[in-house]
This record gives sequence, structure tokens and C-alpha cells, in this order.
Amino acid sequence: MTLTREEAKQRTAILKQVRDQHQETVDRTRARLKDQQTVRRQICQQLRGGPKIVPEIAEATGLPAHEVLWHITAMKKYDLVVEVGQCGEYYQYAMAKETES
Amino acid sequence: MPEPRSNGDVRIGVYVCYCGGNISDVVDCEQVAAALRTLPNVVVARTDMSMCSDAGQALIETDILEHGINRVVVGACAPSLHERTFRNTIARAGLDAGLNPYLYHHVGLREQVSWVHQGNPQKATEKAIRLMMAGIAKARMLEPLEPTVLDAEQHALVIGGGVAGLRAAWDIARRGIRVTLIEKSPFLGGHMAQLETTFPAGEDARAALGDLIDQVVAHPLVTVHTRAELTGVSGYVGNFQAQITQQSRGVSQGFTHFAEAAEVCPVEVPDEFDYGMTTRKAIYRAYPGAYPDLPAIDWAHCDACGKCLSVNGTGLDLENKPATFDLNVGAFVVATGFRPYEPRRGEYGYDEHPEVITLPQMIRLLALAGDGPDLLWNGRTVKNVALIHCVGSREIPGVHEPQPDGQVNDYCSRVCCTATLHLATELRERYPHLNIFDIHEDIRTYGRGHEDIYTEAAANRVGFLRFHGDERPDVLPAPDGDSSPLLVRVKDYLTWGEELDVPADLVVLATGILPSPVDDIISLLKISAGTDRFLLEVHPKLQPVETAVPGVVLAGTAQGPMNIQEASAAASAAAAKVAVLLGQGSVKLEPFVARVNHALCDGSGECVAVCAYEDAITLQTVSDNGQTAQKAVVTPANCVGCGVCVSACPNHAIDVQGWTLAQYDAMLDALAAPLPVLESAT
Amino acid sequence: MTVKNVHVDVLVVGGGIAGMQSALDLADQGYRVALVEKEPSIGGKMIMLSKVFPTLDCCSCITTPKMSAVAHHDNIELLTYCDVQAIGDRPGGGFVIDVVQKPRYVDIDTCTGCRQCEYVCPIDLPSQFDRELGAVRAIRVPFSTAVPQKAFLDIDNCILCGKCQQACPVEAIDFAQQPETFTVEAGAIILATGFELTPAGAKAEYGAGELLNVVDALVMERLLAPTGPYGHVLRPSDGKEPDSIAYVQCAGSRDKTLGVEYCSRVCCMYAIKQAMLLSGALPLADITIYYMDIRTFGKGHEQFYQNAKAMGIEFVKGKVARITEDEDKNPVVRVELIEDGSKVVERAHDLVVLSVGMLPGYNPKSLYGVPVADDGFAAIPAPNIRPSVTPKPGIFVTGAAAGPMDIVDSIVLAGAAAAEAAAYLEEVRTPSPQRAAIEEAVHA
Ligand SMILES: Cc1cc2nc3c(=O)[nH]c(=O)nc-3n(C[C@H](O)[C@H](O)[C@H](O)COP(=O)(O)OP(=O)(O)OC[C@H]3O[C@@H](n4cnc5c(N)ncnc54)[C@H](O)[C@@H]3O)c2cc1C
Ligand SMILES: Cc1cc2nc3c(=O)[nH]c(=O)nc-3n(C[C@H](O)[C@H](O)[C@H](O)COP(=O)(O)OP(=O)(O)OC[C@H]3O[C@@H](n4cnc5c(N)ncnc54)[C@H](O)[C@@H]3O)c2cc1C
Ligand code: SF4
Repeated sequence: MTLTREEAKQRTAILKQVRDQHQETVDRTRARLKDQQTVRRQICQQLRGGPKIVPEIAEATGLPAHEVLWHITAMKKYDLVVEVGQCGEYYQYAMAKETES
Repeated sequence: MPEPRSNGDVRIGVYVCYCGGNISDVVDCEQVAAALRTLPNVVVARTDMSMCSDAGQALIETDILEHGINRVVVGACAPSLHERTFRNTIARAGLDAGLNPYLYHHVGLREQVSWVHQGNPQKATEKAIRLMMAGIAKARMLEPLEPTVLDAEQHALVIGGGVAGLRAAWDIARRGIRVTLIEKSPFLGGHMAQLETTFPAGEDARAALGDLIDQVVAHPLVTVHTRAELTGVSGYVGNFQAQITQQSRGVSQGFTHFAEAAEVCPVEVPDEFDYGMTTRKAIYRAYPGAYPDLPAIDWAHCDACGKCLSVNGTGLDLENKPATFDLNVGAFVVATGFRPYEPRRGEYGYDEHPEVITLPQMIRLLALAGDGPDLLWNGRTVKNVALIHCVGSREIPGVHEPQPDGQVNDYCSRVCCTATLHLATELRERYPHLNIFDIHEDIRTYGRGHEDIYTEAAANRVGFLRFHGDERPDVLPAPDGDSSPLLVRVKDYLTWGEELDVPADLVVLATGILPSPVDDIISLLKISAGTDRFLLEVHPKLQPVETAVPGVVLAGTAQGPMNIQEASAAASAAAAKVAVLLGQGSVKLEPFVARVNHALCDGSGECVAVCAYEDAITLQTVSDNGQTAQKAVVTPANCVGCGVCVSACPNHAIDVQGWTLAQYDAMLDALAAPLPVLESAT
Repeated sequence: MTVKNVHVDVLVVGGGIAGMQSALDLADQGYRVALVEKEPSIGGKMIMLSKVFPTLDCCSCITTPKMSAVAHHDNIELLTYCDVQAIGDRPGGGFVIDVVQKPRYVDIDTCTGCRQCEYVCPIDLPSQFDRELGAVRAIRVPFSTAVPQKAFLDIDNCILCGKCQQACPVEAIDFAQQPETFTVEAGAIILATGFELTPAGAKAEYGAGELLNVVDALVMERLLAPTGPYGHVLRPSDGKEPDSIAYVQCAGSRDKTLGVEYCSRVCCMYAIKQAMLLSGALPLADITIYYMDIRTFGKGHEQFYQNAKAMGIEFVKGKVARITEDEDKNPVVRVELIEDGSKVVERAHDLVVLSVGMLPGYNPKSLYGVPVADDGFAAIPAPNIRPSVTPKPGIFVTGAAAGPMDIVDSIVLAGAAAAEAAAYLEEVRTPSPQRAAIEEAVHA
């Protein structure tokens, strides 16, 4: 959908205005997003080395296993990570094909 | 309505539901869809986690609107669950696309495939494909149908005058629909009248019941007939003919000498109101204040000696003249209630030792006992009472002796635990020195306010003992010299499974709940009972008070054990269903009925001979092209679509709409056809 | 979006199974109904469940068609993501209700539910729907079977980057949306506001909600659901498939120390149900249920219990005194075995499920003038004969707002509340001499 310059400008203005109104939550969420990105980077790094189970990733990254599981679950939901098989009592996860490159 | 003219116009949408895993855990739904996509006329074949969800239904709507789909086949749960759901989807989309909702076929992939072939996913998937292929073959030949719309009689018949029947009648009347209530016995109220105070709130049972009865009988839209039973039914939802047979009361308005008449009546019989613990005369009243405010003659026992006439005969008639009358009603509410379980002779010593009685009897005993400081039974002061739970309930097949009808009462009767503890509390209040032992398997005080009754009993020195279901206690005569005549031997798991002997002057059996005997009602209304003998609902969550027969709903303990609150709620819910059905003044019947092709019919009448339903198919003189001939004619409202006439017709002139012979042929051919070839799944 | 003022016969508050059923039972009779739900989707707790006892139907097979029917019914006005703000009496009977439509920041008429916004949103949040085990985005369709299937933006967890707006193919996103107030006029009200669960931290003895592998039963529902977060039953601490699972019954009910003395009615059955489903999902796992009494009182429930026993699920009568955790985060249950000489033992499991209770949810006192009883649920003056009638004329109650109850009982009571409301409306329209007496008797 293409916007006219005018429309685009107006949108930006509204966004800015709403952002100002919600400064506090926006800042908090931004900080949260940063942490999320750091953790994701670590997890993805591990997965690029091949399919892994949660405790392996946790050990390699030093992240708590339950946090790793949560992020894997989130990435799986939005098709960034796929489950590739079972290894003993754990499932193995890998990067989804499209995101690997 | 633009309808496809040739096969070429048939555009089928096929949908395979995962059923939230119920189907997809066994059947490879994707493979099924892929196979079906290759078939002629199939325009789309899709899968979804749950087709019946709004999103799933939206798939169908979109395909109808955007892909010009004009036949829909869904493979999902049983048709009984969601066939209607999907027909409504088509009807909705059809408003824009002009599509008839009967251009739909439902294939049961859950009950017929995944649930029964759990161990064999590959074969299950093949079977699913075949069933779907058959459905598609049928869909190619579907034709638009119209439901039959008929006027509905805004009048309901409630069967049973216990709290459930009364509550249902009241709600229906308040909603503005006429009600007739028939009660088999001469008095209204059912079992609630036999209670004194009720859990959970300690309310006066007969006072609360009396208030309800007053409201019901005062309502201008309600007619009550006591001593009346249903003896015949014909017709269909919205338009049933009910035949009612009413015994005479023997006593009419203006009779004023009840006390004297009862005094002189020589016939004395056990009083059922007190569960046989007292007696009454052949002219009787259930309890003071019973409705109607007139005694009745007990025809089973009155020997017409005429003594009562000698007191003052005005208003008495000692001949029973049963009368029958017909009512035109739109719906039935079955509220025939329960009966307490009657233990077998010897079961926990019942009927062998006079000190063993049932909980209903105990409630009456307490009602009859005076204000004295001691509870007396058989002239003895009762010091130790043992209350035994689950008598006639929660029986285990293979462990407990089946009932005379071969059934094992394997259900929980739901009210006895709380009723027993409610009783224990009353006993404690009235007889502070009594020793009370409560012998149970589990204590099920589940309802709002029930746990308080349990806690109170425990705080009030009621002793609890606990047995295992397969090791029920024994009631035995006490050895000579014991102060109590009986003992209850129980392997008590609150004291490490030790065998304890509990002394008992009175043993109270918390007997369970059985449905009233209603075989006649079942066969008249063509409804059914479950394996627990209670009347069966269509589905506990989707249609919890409806039976499989349109226009027949259930209220109260006829359907299963319930306390008063639950019976009232169920009755009101039943009233709401009646209002849905009759409130609009018309009912819609499904079009799946027989249809006669008069070009082929030669009026042999074989169909009429085999049809089991009154006036469903008849021979009538029909004129066709100036010629008159006898032909079979179907009355859709009376036809159930069973198809017996189809098989009887020598000329293949009859079909059941929506299930024609040609459609069956096509389905059979599809079932026998080879499976579509697929690149094998990974 | 335009929000108009609404005139209906009955306002139903709460779109769980009870509220939906009351709305349908009235709408099918021809009454006009408005259903107001505070969340962005209807469905209540039931839509979160896996399969439901006693029939083991898949939960969405029962719930989603009802949700769809509510959304499409000609006589039902569905008001999601709305709060009731004030209620006044309407002259001549009935109520005038002020309702505020909370901003979704998405135009509900334009949104097609395509979820493209959700896919581009960079923020992952713990999903309340998945009991925090899974993730959702700041802008999202609430869950896969939500009704309406429309996105909404959780502005408190948004960085306002505008990516969703760029991605939306139909220009539905509107950051300038403001709360809008409108009025609903109704002749009667049905409260169907449901229940809450025992909070995770309620019992210090059970780890105060700190132990990762001690979860509540609603978490297990999500783990078992086909749409669940992991797609398998895994334990939350590390994703291990549990081998040994224990249920602690009455965790939050029949417990004086929590002030919850009543029985929550559903926990025995849902625990047995979950145990059965688990033995299907994890055929090798050992499943133990620690209980005080098994209360399978409903129609078909006792038979369900006996089947579970026959399947090999272990029922242990015992009081669980404490739950701790070993170094592998395995929960260790300290239990007094009542049938074994009250011996106290410690048993380690992979996962412990607390059969938490049903607590009162919304308190209708201040807004609706409906008082609550000692147990916190709506007061019902004549519970036996009129189980859905509150002390306030014209206001009725159903479902778990009227006390703990399962789905079947909620659906039945919903029908009863519909019948009461319909009768109330009819009697207001054609007053009968009885009415005054009835009112007096019930509300005395
Ligand atoms: C010992 C005991 C104690 C109890 N205590 C309590 C308590 O304290 N609190 C509580 O809430 N509940 C209690 N209950 C439960 C309560 O009695 C029932 O919930 C209630 O009576 C059920 O009402 P109903 O209308 O379904 O059935 P019923 O009371 O059985 O009424 C059915 C009516 O239908 C009539 N009928 C039957 N067949 C026909 C026919 N073919 N044609 C016409 N009429 C017919 C019968 O004559 C009867 O009048 C107790 C039950 C027992 C056994
Ligand atoms: C773990 C677990 C498992 C269960 N399993 C089963 C089972 O297998 N079978 C079974 O029969 N039962 C089961 N149950 C019980 C079942 O969940 C309840 O019976 C049912 O959900 C009650 O429905 P409800 O509509 O009364 O309440 P809810 O589901 O709580 O719905 C209430 C609705 O009202 C809304 N609401 C609340 N306050 C307001 C307000 N002020 N304004 C507007 N809206 C409001 C809420 O958002 C919600 O949508 C289970 C319960 C639990 C906890
Ligand atoms: S209510 Fe209690 S006594 Fe009655 S059958 Fe059920 S468990 Fe047994």
C-alpha cells in the first residue's frame, strides 16, 4: 500500500505523539527487547552449529534452561526455529530453513 | 436460486478437520486432503485444526464466495455433533451466494476412523480417504432441500409434579406459554415433601415447596392434573397429541369430614410417605397441607365397604372411574424423578434386623420422634448410630452382586453424602449424648455450603471411618452380652486398615438414587435411558437437557441424581429449551423424509404396510394429467426418514431425501474404487 | 470505528461458556441480547482447556462453535474488550449501563485477522493464554480460535515502532484510537463473570510459586492442548519429557489456612482427566494422584474414576505437607500416607501438578449492587428453588460466578438464568398480581 507524503507524515506524527504519551512503557519495553535480542543471538549461535536440546544450549550459553526453553518456544511459534527430532527425553531444535541464511 | 445444471457445474469444497488432534493423531489429514484434491469436481481440499471454530467456518464461507464452491464435504467428528454447525455456515454464506444448506455432506472421521483405529495410522488414513471419497461421490448428486415449517402448539406438557416438574411448569408459564402438569400420585411435591429441613441452608422443605406450589397452581397459564398419567402419544414436535388417563380422586370439593372418615375407615396400610414406618387409611392425605387440599381414596386398598359414607357422604364417590382425555401439546418435559434404592434382604442386614433402616426412613423417624431427650427405636434408647454411605451406589462390577435386573449401580448418587452429614448434624443437636459413626468410602460434600456441613459434623464429635470400595463393611448381630444389638465390622483405613467393630443400636443405610420406573414413558415418547437406567440427554455439554427426540426435554432426577438446587436449575434450563422451541409459534423439521415418485408408483401399498409410523405414508387418490389413480403420499411431519418403505417398494419409486438410492450407489462405487495415487508421504 | 448505543432485552456480562450459553438461550427465544466481555475474545477459561471431562471431547469442538454462534447470531450484540463503568436504573424498569470500549488500536471492521502485524512485531511476551510458557507478540490475534478473529495491540508492551502499521494490508491499525463510552439499555442483567484460580504463590509449603516444575492444573491443560506452547508435554524447567508426574489434590481448596474452606468441585475430575490424557501422551510415565477424598459425583463421573484406576493411575490417600526441589529441579513431595499408618515419606517426581481451586473472580457488589456470600461468590438467597436469582431484582447469575461448577453445570445453570431473565422480562411487560408477592418472597 502506498501512502502519500502527507499521509506518511501524519502517521509519523501520530506515532510520535502516542510514543510520548507512553514514554515509560515504551522505554521499559525497549530495554526488554534489547535483552531479548542478546539472548536470541546466543541461542541462534548455538543452533547454527546444528540441532540441539535445551540443556545443551543452556550449558553452552550459561543461560538458565527454562529461559532457553521459553525463547525456543517463542521462536518456534513464529517459524524461526523448528523441532527436528527427539533425543532421549528431550526434543531437538534447529534454525528454520528460511532464517538460516 | 442458481443451481448447477450438469455435473460440470459441480464445484466441491472438501475440508478435513484435525479435531484438535482427535483425528490428526491417527489420520494423516494432510495426506487425505492431498488425495482428495486429485478427484474430479473437487475445487479445494483443505485441513484445519478445528473446522468448527469461527476461523474454520470462515474458510468454507470464503471458498463459497470466492471460489464458487457449491457443494461442501467436511470430514470431522460425528454428524450428530456438528453437521448442523456446518449447514448453518453454508446458510450464512449462502445468503450472498444463493447456496442451499443441504448441499452438504458430513463424514465422521473421528468416531468411524481415528478413535477406532488408533493402532494403525496407515490403514486409518486409507479408510479416511475412502469415506471421504464416498462423501464426495454423494455430494456430486446432492440436491437442494427445504425444511418443513409447521405451526407449533404453544402448550407444554410436564410429566411429574416434584420440585423439578413444578419449577419447569412455573418457568414455562411465566414465559407466556401454556402448561399442563400431570402427576401420577394424588398429591404434588414428590420426594421433597418427605424432607424436613434441607441442605445446604437448613430451609424448611415443605414450606419452600408449598410456596412454589402456590405460585404454580395460581398461575393462569397452568393446569394441574393429579392422579394422571400419559397413556398415548402421536404426532411430532410442535404438534403432539397426548392421551392422558386420570383416575378419580373419590373425593370432591365440598367433602369436609376427612378426620372422621379416616377414623372409621377399617383399611390400614403402610404409609409410603413415611416409607412404611407408619400406617394410613385407604382414605388419606399425603401430609397436612398437601396440594390439592383434598384427601384421596387409595383404590388399590379401598374395599368400598362404605363406612366413610356413613359419616357424611357428601363429596365421596367410592367407584374409580378412570377418564381419558387428549391434549394437543407442542413439547414434553419429563420430570418423573427418582426412587430411593431399596436394599435387598440381608444387604447390610436390611430386612433381617429391625435396627437396620434407610436414610429416607431415618429422616421420617426423626420427623416423627417427639421432643424427648432420647432417640427411641423399637422401644429401646438408641445410644450408638452407624451411618453407612454408598448403599446401592458406587458398586464395582465383578465385586458386588448385580441388581435383580443384572445391572451394577456403578454411579455415585450425589446427594447421600451431604444428606447423611446434614442428618448427623441434626442428630447431634437433638441428642447430644448419642455416639455417631459415619462409615464412608469418600466424603463428597462438593456443593456450595456442603463442606461446612462436613466440617461441622467433624467438629461435633461424629466419628469417621473409611472403607475401600471393594471391602465394604458388614452388619452383624452383636455377641450376647453387648449392650447394642448389632455391630458394624469395618476395615478402617483411617486406622491403618484395622478391622474395627462399631456397636450399633441403629444402622442407617445411605441409600442411593434410582430413576422412577418409566418404561411406559420411554416407549411412548421413544426416548432412551443410559446404562445407568436414567433418561439420556443428547450430549452433556451441547444439549444437556434435550433428548434425541425433538420436543422432549428432561428435568430433574429423572436424568440422574441431583439435589434440589440442581433439579431446579435443570428444570429451568428445560423450560428455556421449551421456550426456544415453542416461543416463536412454529417449528422447523429436517427434510430427510421419504418422497414418492408418482410416475413410478403403482399404488401397490406395500410401503404403507411396512411403515411403523402412523399416517407417515398413505394411499391417496391423486390426479395426474386428468387421470386419477391411487398413489402413495408422504406426510413429512409424521415421517422419520427410516427408509423401510424404500426397501419395500417394488418399483423403486421411493427415496429418502438427502439419502437417495442413487446417492448410495455412488457412495458404494466410490468405496470400491481404487485409492487416488499419491506421491508417498515422507 | 463507530460505537452506537445499544437497546437490548438482556445484558450478559462475561463471555465464558456460561455467559455464551445464557446469551444463546435468550437469543434463540427471540430476545435481544448484548454480551459484554472484558477481554479481546470471548471463550473464558474453557477455551484454554485441552479435552473436557467426562466425555473427553476436544474442548474447542464444544466451545468454538458456541463462540461462532454468539458472534453470528442476529439477536446478539457482541461487545468484546469492553468494561462496564456504571449502572443506573432506567425509569419504568430495567437498567442503563455505561460501557467503555477499550482501544484495540485496530479497526475491528477492517481487520481481517491475517496476523501479518503479529509476524512483524519484534516484541515477544509471555503468553497469558499459555500460562506464560509460550510467547505472544505485542500486537496479536488473541489466540488461534479467538472470536472475533481480530488483532489488538497491547500498548503497555509496545515500543510503537510502527512496523505493524506498515505491514497491515488493509490499513486497520490506528494508534490514535481512544476509549469510547456508550450506553446499553437492558431490561435485565445476567452476571457470568466466572472464577479465578488459586494464585501460584498461595501456599508457601508448596514452594510459593517459585518451583519451576510445580505447575498448576491450567498449565497442564495448556501442555496437553493440541494448540499448546510446546506441542508436547514437557516440563518447564528444561524441556524434559516427564517420566513421573504427581497431582496434589485440594491445593487451594478445603484449606482453612487459605480461607478457602469449600470444595472446588472440578479438581478431582480434571486431575483424573489429565492423568488419563497423560497416559495417552506419555504411555511410559508413572502418574500418581495424592488426594483426601475423590469426589466424582456427576453423571458418568464415578465410572470415569474407575476407568482411570483400571488404566493404572495410582491414587494415594495422603496429605501433602510440603514440596521442595532437589538439585535437578525435581520436585520432592513430602506426604503423609494416611492408609499406610500415616507414615511420612518423601517422593521425587519430574513434575508436580497442583490441583488448584476455583476462587471468586469479579466482585459485583459495588457496580451491580449484588452482594457476595462468605465464600466470595455471588449471594443467592434461595439457592434450592431459585439458584440463579440474586438479591437484586432483575440481576441474575450463572456459571462459576455462582460458585465453583463444571461446564455441564454451568451450561445448565445458564439455561436456568436465561429462563429467569425471560420470565422477569415477561412479567415486567405484563405484570401479574403474583409478581409483587414473588419479589417479596425471594428478596425478603
Ligand atoms: C434421603 C434423601 C435426602 C435428601 N435431602 C436433600 C436435601 O437436604 N437437600 C437437597 O437439595 N436435596 C435433597 N435430596 C434430593 C431431593 O430429594 C431431590 O433432588 C428432589 O426431590 C428431586 O426432585 P424431582 O422433581 O426431580 O423428583 P421427585 O421428587 O421424585 O418427583 C417426581 C414426581 O414425578 C411423579 N411421577 C413419577 N412418574 C410419573 C409418571 N409416569 N407420570 C406422572 N408423574 C410421575 C412422582 O410421583 C413425583 O411426584 C434428598 C434425597 C434423598 C433421597
Ligand atoms: C484446570 C481446569 C480444568 C478444567 N477442566 C474441566 C473439564 O474438563 N470439564 C469441565 O466440565 N470443567 C472443567 N473445568 C471447569 C471449567 O473451566 C468451568 O466450569 C468453566 O470455565 C466456567 O465457565 P464460566 O463461563 O462460568 O467462567 P469463565 O470461564 O471464568 O468465564 C468468565 C468470563 O467472564 C469474563 N469476565 C469476568 N469479569 C468480567 C467483567 N467484570 N466484565 C466483563 N467480562 C468479565 C472473563 O474474561 C471470562 O471470559 C476446569 C477448570 C480448571 C481450572
Ligand atoms: S454421594 Fe456419597 S454416599 Fe452417595 S453414592 Fe456418592 S459417595 Fe456414596
